[in-house]
Amino acid sequence: MTGFATSSIHGVHLKADVHGSLRTPVYDTVAFEFESARDISQAFAGRKPAHTYSRITNPTVEDFEQRIRLISGGSAVVAVSSGMAAITNVILTLAGAGTNIVTSKHLFGNTLSLLEKTLKPWGLEVRYVDMSEPAVVRRAIDENTRAVFLESITNPQLEVADFKAISKITSEESVPLIVDGTVTTPYLFCSREFGVNIEVLSSTKYISGGATSMGGVIIDNGNFDWRKSPRLNDWADKMGPLALLGALRREVYRNVGSCLAPHHAYLHSLGLETMSLRIEKSCSNAHDLAGFLQQHQRISSVNYPGLTKSKFHEIATAQFAKRYGGILTFDLESREACFALLDNLHLIKRATNVNDNKTLILHPASTIFCEYPDEVLNDIGVRQTMIRLSAGIEDLEDLRNDLEKGLAAL
Amino acid sequence: MQITVNGEISKLEEIEVNLLKLLELKQVESPEMVAVQLNGSFIEMSSYSSTYLKSGDDIEFLFFMGGGSE
Repeated sequence: MTGFATSSIHGVHLKADVHGSLRTPVYDTVAFEFESARDISQAFAGRKPAHTYSRITNPTVEDFEQRIRLISGGSAVVAVSSGMAAITNVILTLAGAGTNIVTSKHLFGNTLSLLEKTLKPWGLEVRYVDMSEPAVVRRAIDENTRAVFLESITNPQLEVADFKAISKITSEESVPLIVDGTVTTPYLFCSREFGVNIEVLSSTKYISGGATSMGGVIIDNGNFDWRKSPRLNDWADKMGPLALLGALRREVYRNVGSCLAPHHAYLHSLGLETMSLRIEKSCSNAHDLAGFLQQHQRISSVNYPGLTKSKFHEIATAQFAKRYGGILTFDLESREACFALLDNLHLIKRATNVNDNKTLILHPASTIFCEYPDEVLNDIGVRQTMIRLSAGIEDLEDLRNDLEKGLAAL
Repeated sequence: MQITVNGEISKLEEIEVNLLKLLELKQVESPEMVAVQLNGSFIEMSSYSSTYLKSGDDIEFLFFMGGGSE
């Protein structure tokens, strides 16, 4: 087994390129030719390994999927068009009308919207619990629970659950545990080692690196018996341990049409090669900026799992190899002060993305959570006085100077 | 040894062949993209190297790459 960076760079050798290209080319093609009618029928029956149509599989996308499989240690990977597509595909595969999933209200705004506004009208029940209380998670699970879903570090509350404690419960209850590991990636968090069964990520973030393109991945960690998941019973009979992948590839993912564009897969494979270096710098910048901000007189509070005062510091240290991600939040005295600081910055960009190479800043309540009234915002821990900062990989001193000048101008 | 792979008779010259070797002989370049059934039962990927074949075995490779499209 090679190291993380080596695996990211060299990937899995799939097929020799006819020109000896060191990089898998962008196969911007929809269809693939077969030598005979029998060959194409065998491919459709799943008895011949061949690409048929790029909505289902594509060589450039496959190269990216295999790199993710290698670095995550998972048993199977499906790449999709975005992180939201990854979450949607997994929930549609496991759950349906009359069933429920157990999750936390502390979720990315669009994930909360997916559950509340898109899937609930189709009959899915969503049960919200406090993930820091494993006993509460167990009480929320019943015979109709199809999954427990949470984020590795919640965005923007920056809470960290005890994954070993929660996976012990989900394992005992025979319910798959899904984690959105976008802000940690397999570099910071080996979800399989903590009992997570499925990891979903937005590869738009740390993986693409330069925010060049949208994408997502679904990782089956290969540690759940899919015969115990009612919607996958038939697939388990047909595909055995790869039932989830089969149900996705031959039903939900194929039918929904959430395929990753080959060009985006190429960019994400390229980004993956430098991801470990970028994450180290991003985490280091976030940690140092959090320390700087908590000393500043205009800042009323700073939230970052890397700060020893954080109530999640200990569990984050144990789970994320002593790095704490690239996102931090801090509070000023008012929403107006938050807007003024954002407008006073010159280097740090006002933009809604995270884990970009560039440092980005946002007022969550008026942007990614703007569809929710104040009482909901209070309930989910999004304050009007809160600013979210995603640390990029620029020189620390330049970022500190920009914040210093912005705060001085308030 | 004579076995059946995806419905076709296959004669192997090798005396000892495990599933990992069979995947190699059949030029399956991405073993992780295939589910393997031996005489109707799925075999875990971790057991491929310890699962040896005998004459008359019926093996099905189920790939995830094709699967119905326009």
